Amino acid sequence: MGADREEAGAGGTEFTLDAPEELAHDPLERPGLGPWKLTWRRLRRDKVALAAGLVFLLIVAACLAAPLWADHVAETTPEANHLSDKVTIDGKSTDVVDLLGKPIGPTWSDHFFLGADKNGRDIMVRLLYGGRNSLMIGLAGALGTIAVGLVLGLVAGYYRGRADSAIRAVLDVIWAFPVVLLGVALGVALALGGISIGPIQIAGNSLLIPTMIIAIAYIPYLARPVRGQALALREREFVEAARAQGMGSLRIVFAEVLPNVASTLVVFLPLLVANAILLEASLSFLGAGVQPPNPSWGTMIAEGVDRIVTAPHLVIVPGAMLALSVLSLNIFGEGVRDALDPKARVRIEH
Amino acid sequence: MACGSDDSTTSAGGSGDEAKETVTIAQASQPDFLDPALSYTIHGWEPMWTVYMPLLTYQREEGAAGAELMPGLAEAMPKVSNGGKTYELTLRDGVKYSDGTPVKASDFEHAIKRVLNLESGGAPYYEVIEGADDYLSGGNADADISGIETDDKTGEITINLTAPESAFSFVLAMNFASLVPGDTPFKNMTNDPIPGVGPYMFTKSVPNREFVLEKNPNFTDETVPGVTTANIGTVKTVINPSVPQQTQDVINNELDFMEEPPAADFIAEILERFGPEGSEEQRYKEFTTLSTYYFFLNQRVAPFDDPKVREAVNYGLDKPALARLFAGTLEPGCSFLPPEMPGYSESLDTGECPWGDPNEAPDLKKAQQMIKEAGAEGAKVTVWGDNVDPTPAVTQAYADQLNEMGLDAEPKIVDGGVYFQTIGNEKTAAQTGFLNWFGDFPHPANFFFLVDGASIQPTNNQNMSNVDDPHINKELAALGEEPDLTKVTDRWEALNEYLVDKAFIAPYGYRKLSTFMSERMNFADCTPINPVIYNDYSQWCLK
Repeated sequence: MGADREEAGAGGTEFTLDAPEELAHDPLERPGLGPWKLTWRRLRRDKVALAAGLVFLLIVAACLAAPLWADHVAETTPEANHLSDKVTIDGKSTDVVDLLGKPIGPTWSDHFFLGADKNGRDIMVRLLYGGRNSLMIGLAGALGTIAVGLVLGLVAGYYRGRADSAIRAVLDVIWAFPVVLLGVALGVALALGGISIGPIQIAGNSLLIPTMIIAIAYIPYLARPVRGQALALREREFVEAARAQGMGSLRIVFAEVLPNVASTLVVFLPLLVANAILLEASLSFLGAGVQPPNPSWGTMIAEGVDRIVTAPHLVIVPGAMLALSVLSLNIFGEGVRDALDPKARVRIEH
Repeated sequence: MACGSDDSTTSAGGSGDEAKETVTIAQASQPDFLDPALSYTIHGWEPMWTVYMPLLTYQREEGAAGAELMPGLAEAMPKVSNGGKTYELTLRDGVKYSDGTPVKASDFEHAIKRVLNLESGGAPYYEVIEGADDYLSGGNADADISGIETDDKTGEITINLTAPESAFSFVLAMNFASLVPGDTPFKNMTNDPIPGVGPYMFTKSVPNREFVLEKNPNFTDETVPGVTTANIGTVKTVINPSVPQQTQDVINNELDFMEEPPAADFIAEILERFGPEGSEEQRYKEFTTLSTYYFFLNQRVAPFDDPKVREAVNYGLDKPALARLFAGTLEPGCSFLPPEMPGYSESLDTGECPWGDPNEAPDLKKAQQMIKEAGAEGAKVTVWGDNVDPTPAVTQAYADQLNEMGLDAEPKIVDGGVYFQTIGNEKTAAQTGFLNWFGDFPHPANFFFLVDGASIQPTNNQNMSNVDDPHINKELAALGEEPDLTKVTDRWEALNEYLVDKAFIAPYGYRKLSTFMSERMNFADCTPINPVIYNDYSQWCLK
C-alpha cells in the first residue's frame, strides 16, 4: 500500500506523491525490466519532454560557454562599463549609451549583440554570465533543499515521536512564511553583513547567500512529503523483515527506505530547480538575491525596468531566457514524472 | 490668474469652476513630515514654504536675487551686535495665523523649542543659541531657552549665540524656524498640520494618500511685503509611487505637476515635445540646484590614507561617463561648492581643474601610474552606494572605473533607509562611496561642514572622508565669525580650491532638477524657480 496524500503549505503549495510500485499497467512494462530502464523507455516516447530537456541543456551549454563569448567575440567582461564608448553599426559610429542615458539596442554583431544596459555593459555577455549564476544558484539551492529536506523527512518519518515533533515544528515555522517573503527577509538581512558564525565567514555579496536562502525556503516543501513516504514505508513488510534480521535503524533508513524515495527525488529535482531559478530571479529583482555588479537574470530585469519604454530589450532578453529555462525544465520534469509514474501528480505551486 | 479653457474641465482638477481653481500634483512618496520643525526634504519644504513663514525669508525671485534674504515675519533684517553673537529683530505688527490666532514674539521661542525638543534633523543649526544645550539636557519641554528673549507687547526678539555664526541669518530663514502658535504640542503634527502664516494653509492631510493646500484667508499682499497671495485656490497633492505613471499622467494632462523629475524613459520625448524654450508647447524646463555630487575618500582607511591614491582617483574619474547615468540632469564639474554658491570657483570648471577638464575623458594612464607608484595596485576597495535610482548604477560605474585604475573594487549597495547611518558609523570603516549634498541655504558654510574636522563623530558622521586638515579647520573657524559673506567670498573660493587640490574628495558634478506641468498651467508666466525654494506653488497660475 503506497502513500497517497496531499499537503498544502501556507503559500498554497501542494504535493501529491504516489509510490513508484503503484504504477498502472503499462504495455512497455515487461518482466525483468528494471524501473529505471522502464522510465527511460517511457521518457523516450515523450518527444515534447525530450525536446524541452534538450532546450534546457542548450541553455546550460551556452551559459557554460560564457567566457568564450566574452573573451573571443564580445571582448569584454560582464562588469565592464562602456558608458563613453562608441560602436560602429553599418559604418556609423554610435554611442553605446547616449547623453540622455539611453543604451544601444541589439546590434546583431560581435559587440553588443543583444545591446547594452544603462551602464553600457554588453547584454549578451551579462545574459550568459547571469545564466550561469541563475542556473548554478537554482541547481545548488535545489540540491541543498534535497540534502537537508531528505534527511529531515526520513528522520521525522521513520523515528516519529519527539524527533518528528521537533522537526515538524521547525518545518511549520518555515512553512508559515510565503517563500518569497521569507527569501526577501533573509536576503535583505544577510546582504549587508553576510554571515559570520565562528570560522564560517560568507560575504554579503557571495552567491552562497541566495543559494542558502533558496535551499532553506524550500526545505519543508520536500521534507514533508518525504516524511509522509517514510511514515508509510516504515510499516512495510521489507522494513519489518530488515528489523527482524537485526538491522539498525540508521541502516534501515538509508539502505531500505531511502532507495524507495529515490524516484520521488528524481521527480522533484527538475521541478525544484525550476522553482529555485524563479525564486532567485524574484529575490534578485527585489534586491535580496544576487548583488550587483554580479549579473543574474533577475537583477538584469530589475535594472532594466525603468527603461522599459525606450530600451525594452533590457527586460525582454533576460525575461525570455528565464521563461524559456523554467518552461523547458518544467516540461521535462513533468515528462520524467510521467515516465516514472504515470499516475503521480507531483507539482509545486505558490 | 485662473481663466481655464474647455480642456481644463476634463483635467486633473475635476470639472467646472472648481477644476479651474484646483490643480492636482503628485509626489512619489509621502513627505518625511508636514511639520515645519521636523521636515528636512525638498518634498516637505516646497509645500511648506507656502504655508509657514520664518522671521527672515528669501526674495520670491529667480536667479541670484532669489538667494537674497529679506524680512519675513520680522519687520526688518536683524541688527547684529556683540561681535556677531547677538541678533535683534522685531515682529511685524498685526499678523495672524491661518486660524485667526495673532502671531506673538514668544512663538519664535516655542518654534525653536519644538525643533530642539523633537530632535529634528535641523536641531544642530540652533544649538549655537545660548542655553540650547541646557534646554536639551534639562528634559523639560516648557523650560526657557536663556539665549532667546521675547516681548509679546513690543514684538522684540533677541537671540544670543554662544559664538559668532556667519550663516545664522540663513539659519533663521530655514523652515525649521517658522513661527507656530505657542500652544502647538511637542509632537509630530503631520496628521493635523499646524496653522501658519503664508499664502496657503493645510486643510487636509492623509499620510501616504494626499494632502491639500487652500488659500489662507488671513494672508494678504500686505502681510509680508514681497510675498504675494496665491493665484490658485487649491493645490491637491496625491501620493503616487510610480514615477513613470506620473510622467504619463502629466504628458496626458491628467496631472498638473510632478515633484520628481520625469522618468528617464520619457526624457527624450519630453525634451522634444515640451522642452523647446519659448514655444507655446513648452511645459518642461530644467534648473540647476545648489548641489554637488561627489565620492568620499576615507582618509583614515587604506588605500585612501595615501594622498597619491586620492589624487589618482581624481585623475581617473570619468565624469562625462557618470553624467550619462543621470539622463542629462548632471552637469560634470570639478568644484566642491556648486555654481550659484558664493565661493564657487568657476575656473575649476573651465579649464583649471587640477585633475583635468571635467567635460573630457580622464587621464587614466596617469591614474594607473600613480596607483602603481603608491603600491596600491590590486588593493581591495568596497564602494558604497544606496539603492535609490540612479545611485546603484553610479556606484557600479565608479567601482568599474576604480578597477580600470588598478584597484580591486566591488560595489556594495544597501537600502537607502540605512545608508547614511551605515557609512557614517566609524565601525563600518567605509572606504569610498556615493554622496551628494543639496544646500539648505546659499552659504558655503552649509557645504563645508561636510569636510570640517570639528564635525567628525563616531556615529552619524557627515564628514565621511574624515577630512581633518589644519588649514581647512582654521579657515572655517575664522570665516565662521564673519557675518558679512560678501567680505570673505574670496577666502571661501580659495578654500574651495584648496579642498579640490588636496583631493580630499572626488566631486563630479552638479544636479539639475526639472519642472514639468500639464498644458493647462501657465508655464511661460507663472513658474519662477527660486534657487533655494525651487518651485513656489503660490506663484503658479492657470492659462
